[in-house]
Amino acid sequence: MAPGLLGLCARRLLAAAATRGRLAAPVRWESSSARAVIAPPAAAGKREPEPTVRWQEDPEPEDENLYEKNPDSHGYDKNPVLDVWNMRVVFFFGVSIVLVFGTTFMAYMPDYRMHEWARREAERLIKYREANGLPIMESNCFDPSKIRLPDED
Amino acid sequence: MLKTILPTIMLIPLAWLSKNNMLWINSTMYSLAISITCLPLMNLSCDNSLNMSLLFFSDSLSTPLLLLTVWLLPLMIMASQHHLSKEPDSQKKLYITMMVLLQTFLIMTFSATELIMFYILFEATLVPTLIMITRWGGQTERLNAGIYFLFYTLAGSLPLLVALVYTQASVGSLNLLLIQYWNHPSIQVWGSSALWLAYMMAFMVKMPLYGLHLWLPKAHVEAPIAGSMVLAAILLKLGGYGMLRITVMLNPITNFMTYPFLMLSLWGMIMTSSICLRQTDLKSLIAYSSVSHMALVIMAIMIQSPWSFMGATALMIAHGLTSSMLFCLANSNYERTHSRTMILARGLQMILPLMAAWWLLASLMNLALPPSINLIGELFVTTAMFSWSNLSIILLGINIIITALYSLYMLITTQRGKYTYHIHNIKPSFTRENTLMMLHLTPLLLLMVKPQIILGTLY
Repeated sequence: MAPGLLGLCARRLLAAAATRGRLAAPVRWESSSARAVIAPPAAAGKREPEPTVRWQEDPEPEDENLYEKNPDSHGYDKNPVLDVWNMRVVFFFGVSIVLVFGTTFMAYMPDYRMHEWARREAERLIKYREANGLPIMESNCFDPSKIRLPDED
Repeated sequence: MLKTILPTIMLIPLAWLSKNNMLWINSTMYSLAISITCLPLMNLSCDNSLNMSLLFFSDSLSTPLLLLTVWLLPLMIMASQHHLSKEPDSQKKLYITMMVLLQTFLIMTFSATELIMFYILFEATLVPTLIMITRWGGQTERLNAGIYFLFYTLAGSLPLLVALVYTQASVGSLNLLLIQYWNHPSIQVWGSSALWLAYMMAFMVKMPLYGLHLWLPKAHVEAPIAGSMVLAAILLKLGGYGMLRITVMLNPITNFMTYPFLMLSLWGMIMTSSICLRQTDLKSLIAYSSVSHMALVIMAIMIQSPWSFMGATALMIAHGLTSSMLFCLANSNYERTHSRTMILARGLQMILPLMAAWWLLASLMNLALPPSINLIGELFVTTAMFSWSNLSIILLGINIIITALYSLYMLITTQRGKYTYHIHNIKPSFTRENTLMMLHLTPLLLLMVKPQIILGTLY
C-alpha cells in the first residue's frame, strides 16, 4: 500500500511538474517505508544547463547561414548589395549576353561546314551527269591519266 | 586567338587589383564576357581549319572544346565563392589566379598548331591543378591525390616528349597541319611500335584508360569544387583531343597496336560502371562514371572510323558538361552536410525540390537519355564498335545498362525516399547554385537541337 501511495504521490508531483515545468513541491518528503525521496530540484528557479554534447546533425558553429542576416540572400556574399549585384551580373552576362546572343549566333551561322553547299553541288552534278549519260560516280578520285608516277626503281 | 588569350591573362591583374568586395563580381563578369569572344570561332565557313597564325588554329574539333573551356571558368568561379568565403583575400585572389592560369594554358593547348607547344602547355596545365588540389582540397588525402595525379601524368608524358623530339628531328616539322601528309615508311620495326606507345601513353593516362586510372578517383574526390569541375570537364578531354590529333599521323601501326587498349577499355568501362554501383562516396561515384565514359571515347578513337570520331567528340563535350554539373550538385550537398557520403543526405527531393529537378536532369543526361547529346555520342560509338566487331555489342550493351543503373541509383539515393531526421537544418538552395546548374544544363539542352557543331571534323 505504501508503494502504491508513493506511486500516486509521485505521479501527482510529476504531473504538476509537467504542467508547470518544475517540481511544484517546495518541501522534501522522505518515505518512511521505502527509500524514496521526493525533493525539489536544486536547480529549481534556474534554467536548464546548455547541452554539453554536440550532436553531429546540429549546424556547425563555423557554418554561417547566409539566410540569417539576409533572408533574401542569393548565396553570393554576406553584404546584401554585393549579393544582389553579383546575381544581376551573372544573369545579365551569363544568360542575356552569352546564352541568348550565343544561341542566336549559332542558330544563324551561314552554312556550317558547307553542308548545304555540298548538297546543292551534289544535286547539280547528278543532274548534269544524268542528263549527259555519264555515270553518277566514279571510283577514281582523280583523273588517272593526269597522275605521273615515278619510274620503277 | 589573342582576343581570347590576352583578356584571360589580364584576368589575373583584375583579380589582384580589384577591391576586395568586388573581387567575385569582377572576375565572374569578365570571364563571362571572355566566353563570348570565343564564339565567332564557330563560324566555320568551310570544312578545313581556320588558321589564324603560325601558332594558333581552330577547327571543328578544337572549337567546341575551347568553348567548353571558356564557358567553364565563370562556372568554376561561381562554384568556389562559398567555400572560399572564409579565406583571407589574398588566398581568394591566388585561387582565382590558379583558375585563370589553368584556363589560359587550356585555351592555348586546344588551339596550338605545333605539337611541341601543345605538349608544353599540356604539361603546364598540371601545375595549377596540382596547386588547387593540394592547397585547397578538403581532406588530408589530398596530398596523396596530388602525388598520384602529378606522377601518373608525368610518367605517361615523358615518352611523348621523346617521341615528339624524335619526330621533329626525322620529319622536320611538327605542325599539325603538315604531319597529316607525312609518308610513313612501309617497314614496321619494333621501334615503330615503341614510337606509337610513346605517343599514346600520355593520352591514355590522361583519359584515363582503365589500368592507369588510379589517379582519377583520388584527384577528383580530393580536389575542391573548381578543381573537380575542370578536371572532369576539360583535363580528361585533353587526352582525347591529343589522341584524335596524333592518330592522324600514326596510321599503319595503329591497326594492330590498338588491340590491348581496346580490350582494356571494353573491360574497364564495365568494371568502373560496376564499381559505381558500390560506391558510398558521391564524388567517387561521379569520378568512376567519368572513367567509364572516357573508356568509350578511347575505344572510339582506337577504331578510327568516321562515325566513331563523331561519337568521340560529341561524347567529350556532353560528358564535360554533365560531369561538371554532377560535381556541382555533389558540392551543393557537401557544403550543407560536410560529408560526401551519399546516404547521409537522402530524401532531398522533399526538402530541396528545385535542386531535385537539377539532379534529375543531370542523372538523365548522364545515363544518355535520348535525345541528349550524350546519347548521340554513345550511340555513334556503339554503332561504330559493332561494325568493328559484332561481339562488342554485348559488352557495350551491358555498360549502357549499368550506366543507367548507377545514375538512377545516385538519383534515388540522394533524392528519393524518406529524408533522414538529421538534415532538418540544411539551408534552402541559393540562387547561385540554381544558376550554376542552369548554366551547365542550358548548353546541353541547346546542343540537342544543333548537334552538328560538336560532331567534330568528320561530319
